[in-house]
Amino acid sequence: MPPRRMGGPSRGPQRGGFQRGGPQRGPGRQQQQRKKRTCRFCDSKETYIDYKNEKRLQRCVSEQGRIIPRRITGTCSHHQRQLVVAIKRARHLALLPFVSDAVS
Amino acid sequence: MTQTKHTYETTFIVNAGLDDPQIDAVIEKAKEAIVKNGGEVKDLAKWGRKRFAYVIRRKNNGFFVVCEFTGPGDIVAKLERHFQLDDNVIRYLTVALDKKALKSRIRPADLLKQPTADSPPPQVGTAVPAAPAVPAAEKSAPLTQPSH
Repeated sequence: MPPRRMGGPSRGPQRGGFQRGGPQRGPGRQQQQRKKRTCRFCDSKETYIDYKNEKRLQRCVSEQGRIIPRRITGTCSHHQRQLVVAIKRARHLALLPFVSDAVS
Repeated sequence: MTQTKHTYETTFIVNAGLDDPQIDAVIEKAKEAIVKNGGEVKDLAKWGRKRFAYVIRRKNNGFFVVCEFTGPGDIVAKLERHFQLDDNVIRYLTVALDKKALKSRIRPADLLKQPTADSPPPQVGTAVPAAPAVPAAEKSAPLTQPSH
């Protein structure tokens, strides 16, 4: 076996060159790491995310009141920035909490 | 030379412990402050008593008012100064509305026909879809803010 520089036992197809990614990537790729999720604001074609809509914003915020990162919700960067601004404004007006008690 | 007028939206919170006529007086003073500084009130909505997500000045709820107005550039500072001086205004937030916001914001008038959590926010131009005909007691909305 030619010496391999990638570290660890050989996995998957023998590709020359640098193999990227975490240690779990296999040929089958069973993990659901990359769900192709579209941005829901892009889908509904919203150009302005209003801070007054606290019910809508509450869905973008965790139980603890923290903003959910976009790699989890799937929003695009453009809307995520607007969303963050809207959430922070809503927090200022006490429509959303800064911190809320998490269960347990 | 006339200055360009910009559109702004301010949301302010009035002390809910006041009586209704007193709250109206506070709102009228705010409107006067706008007009006196060269602005024009386009729309004003009394959003009503809402529960705070956290305690402000040892209070749990307040009377929210949303006002849209146009005016020259220096009007915002003067209006906010007015809010600072008025003891009954607990919080305020003024936002300049740009083109995108003007197109698809929630107008003060639409706020009073607040949709439920599941329906999308009302879009400009289209008639507001039949939000369930909530009686006028909508303003005293039930305490919707879950604490967790």
